[in-house]
Amino acid sequence: MSAPFELSDMVNLAAAGGIGLFFGFFLERGGMGDPHKLTGVFYRTDFGVPKMMFTAILVAATGLCLLADLNVLDMSRVWIIPTFLWPQLVGGALFGLGFLVSGYCPGTAVAGLASGRMDALITMIGVGCGALIFSVFYPAMEGFYKTGDMGQATLPELLHVNHWVLLTFVYVFAGFMFYVMERYERRGEPLKMKKAVHAAA
Amino acid sequence: MNKDGFWSPYLAGAGLGLTLLASFIIAGQGLGASRAFTVVAGTAMNTLAPVYTATLTYLSKYLERSIFQDWTFLEVAGLFAGALAGVLISRGFKVRLDRGAAMSTGTRVMTALGGGIMLGFASRLARGCTSGVALTGGAQFALGGWVFVIAMFASGFLFAAFFRRLWS
Repeated sequence: MSAPFELSDMVNLAAAGGIGLFFGFFLERGGMGDPHKLTGVFYRTDFGVPKMMFTAILVAATGLCLLADLNVLDMSRVWIIPTFLWPQLVGGALFGLGFLVSGYCPGTAVAGLASGRMDALITMIGVGCGALIFSVFYPAMEGFYKTGDMGQATLPELLHVNHWVLLTFVYVFAGFMFYVMERYERRGEPLKMKKAVHAAA
Repeated sequence: MNKDGFWSPYLAGAGLGLTLLASFIIAGQGLGASRAFTVVAGTAMNTLAPVYTATLTYLSKYLERSIFQDWTFLEVAGLFAGALAGVLISRGFKVRLDRGAAMSTGTRVMTALGGGIMLGFASRLARGCTSGVALTGGAQFALGGWVFVIAMFASGFLFAAFFRRLWS
């Protein structure tokens, strides 16, 4: 048997709901519905976002490498995110600003709303409006939207290295990053406590 | 459990990574979020102004099916339910307008809306958001996913230096 499974439309849509349940549960339990925790990384007070994100990427990437090599998962039938270099660079930068200003990203705003945060609902309305604004101005931006088209380019292909080599590199990079973040957070703790006491008084 | 009432980010991250892996295996695609917003907003606009909406070429591919037949919309509906379950077991539910310490209510409404508009626009330009491009693309070693992650963190750090009093 080789995955991905060939599911009927109905089953695939039901699976979407089930996958979403776990997605939302882990996001919320990781604190990703809390805008203070979400923006903490940008102020170097809480590194929950990069810690959770890179752990998730490492776990999923390890699984993909393993299942692909064991011929359990047919990667040619998995939808690979296409690369459009310049729009993704500019889009990523604008996204970072929107993340900082709103305190959320689209998925985490939904988790924020689930915890009763009305500001998350306002952000969700904004995300919908932003998508519509993009649609209205699309004809003027179509040229830029399509620049830097590199198809479904992946790093192992581009760098001519085995995916295990790249994965090892990401493990080392993330491990070093986690170590630095833990040290930094521990050092910052007395300061945070003092601030909290100050705020409470 | 961390002292703030949440799980360790490594534990929650491992759960999230396994969910992403399961999505690849079961559905042949990763996670997503921003697409659901496009589908819902596009459908609302199409209901209110069908003639004008029909002229928007970009939206047509998001209006081919009903929202209840859209994979990402149903996944995000599940996301809401799953997050609600997490909130309820930890007794964290409270209706409120969450904001930075120095933010007025009016400022918070503007930052939530304005920031949201930037997120919505940016995720259309980048072909997805933190879920669809950063997490999914990151795990696939897709170049675009890593470009997006680096640009997002770099920009967030840079602008945080300008907007110090926003959240800290």
